[in-house]
Amino acid sequence: MTKILVANRGEIACRILRTLRDMGHASVAVASEADLDSPHLDDADEVVEIGPPDPRQSYLSINAILTAAAKTGATAIHPGYGFLSTNAEFAAACERAGRTFIGPSSTAMAALGDKRGARATAERCGVPVLPGARETDSPDAAQAAADRVGYPVLLKAAGGGGGRGLRRVDDAASLPEAFEAARREAEAAFGDRRMFVEKFLHPARHVEIQILGDGKSAVALGERECSLQRRYQKVIEESPSIAVSPELRSDLSKAAVKLAVAAGYANAGTVEFLLGPDGSWHFLEVNARLQVEHPLTELRFGIDLVRAQVEIALGGPLPSPAEPRGHAIEARLNAEDPGRGFLPMTGRVAALRWPQRPDLRIDAGIRQGQEILPFYDSLLAKLIAWGPDRDSARRRLAGGLRDLVLAGVPTNQKYLLDTLESGFFREGETFTTTLESRSWTPPEPSRAMLLAAAGATGAPAARGSAGSPWQNGGAWRLGS
Amino acid sequence: MKRTVRLRCRGRVHTIEVDGSEAVPRRAAVVPVPGGVWVSLDGHCEFFEVVRGTVPLPPQASDPDVRAPMTGRIIAVRVKPGDEVKPGDVLVTLEAMKMEYRLAAPAGGRVTAVKCAEGDRVDIGMLLVTLEPAPLTP
Repeated sequence: MTKILVANRGEIACRILRTLRDMGHASVAVASEADLDSPHLDDADEVVEIGPPDPRQSYLSINAILTAAAKTGATAIHPGYGFLSTNAEFAAACERAGRTFIGPSSTAMAALGDKRGARATAERCGVPVLPGARETDSPDAAQAAADRVGYPVLLKAAGGGGGRGLRRVDDAASLPEAFEAARREAEAAFGDRRMFVEKFLHPARHVEIQILGDGKSAVALGERECSLQRRYQKVIEESPSIAVSPELRSDLSKAAVKLAVAAGYANAGTVEFLLGPDGSWHFLEVNARLQVEHPLTELRFGIDLVRAQVEIALGGPLPSPAEPRGHAIEARLNAEDPGRGFLPMTGRVAALRWPQRPDLRIDAGIRQGQEILPFYDSLLAKLIAWGPDRDSARRRLAGGLRDLVLAGVPTNQKYLLDTLESGFFREGETFTTTLESRSWTPPEPSRAMLLAAAGATGAPAARGSAGSPWQNGGAWRLGS
Repeated sequence: MKRTVRLRCRGRVHTIEVDGSEAVPRRAAVVPVPGGVWVSLDGHCEFFEVVRGTVPLPPQASDPDVRAPMTGRIIAVRVKPGDEVKPGDVLVTLEAMKMEYRLAAPAGGRVTAVKCAEGDRVDIGMLLVTLEPAPLTP
């Protein structure tokens, strides 16, 4: 038995802690002052408070995390995704402190997890990359690179991830401001100011290969397509991609494994590619960590990727994956209002009822009564449906989203549902620019919704058990 | 008994006649909270406020005040009182949930007051910048 600290919060901390419990390991959760009542703490054996709500002083503080590990005697650390997960300095600090970092070594991370380093490694391995420039740390250098490859370009933070520190630039005039904004965002989120430039390819699909490595060899576990994005945040993901033929899958998998082996990569990682309109494919980056959308692969391959990560980190062998089956689709439920420019929303979860379906998985990090705070990512939960084919998975996920009740905080629930039901999604017209090129406005409330609201607020006779958030929940009938 | 109910949802007032004869699907979730009620039905969830007495006019589209659209931190203030701005000019940058949001002038005009400074924590709805609209004809 190993004692393992999970250096994260929200749904991913819950998900990791549950696998640790199933494996028989002892677990430690960490919490900022804002998270002292958050659900992930209830999945752990022990809890350590690590500092103020500002992530820079808690979840992003190497010192705070290592102090918590020392205090509890945790000998291994799982970083989840985001926060310190792709920080090579953190991986190195764990190594120096004699704690097992559940992820690649700091050297492999520097070679692949760093976006600029990964580009260099890909070029050396003969894996195609997008036209661009690797080191553009000043607006002038970025401008020169952009002039060379031609607009539009994408400004990218070398240490970035999760869509932060990225800006599309369409002309030279708007580059300096975009550069500063991207760099500020990257510094706030990752504490890293280094930038680079790549040609912006469109219409393109975002396809990524899941890999597991042990430092000497690696296996590929198929692809996930994550083209449907907004502001570089993935919205709906699926596996397999309808755009990937068996030949292309084999090419992408070989390239991903080659990169992993070249970098001596151990543990779970994801190699991202862009598919161009002309059938070309280009290496994008390596996510040297568990991905948000990893459940798609788990459902199709019948594997627990967190378990595999822990086993590899503790010296176990690489799993030999089974043949994948069926189709899986994931939708990310965010605290944001699509009716108001997708602004993140805060508030109290006043009511919560999760849908249940065969082969519908819900990875959530919230509970009823919880306050959604402005300090962290707006991801509340992921709904992932499996089906024997794409349309069955799609219908199952749509059914789940239709049943879900989450009141008290605006979410993108209806937007996700309408997207899954749209003609473009059904036909697989999913490109990285698709969602942002289509406007969506919330529908007017139906007469049934208005009647329900009128009944609850205007009829004193119907106000039954006052004080319960569910006084009419699911059983409201007008005039009764 | 017939009655008229006015409900505000996303800034729009809906007037409906209720006589008790129409059933609401039993699966609808109705969640009263202070100030109103959330209704969730078939994946669509909205917040409703009861409008009593006279219906106030919804905010004008040309309302020139800029308010915080969410709780967060001001990371840049681009204007000062007296500045002339065009519609779409960025006035203030707000950071919330680790993302940056640039708040732009809804209309052209002159900045009359700046109510926030770099580094301020602001709550949703807080007044940040007031503008005096430009005259309609030059």
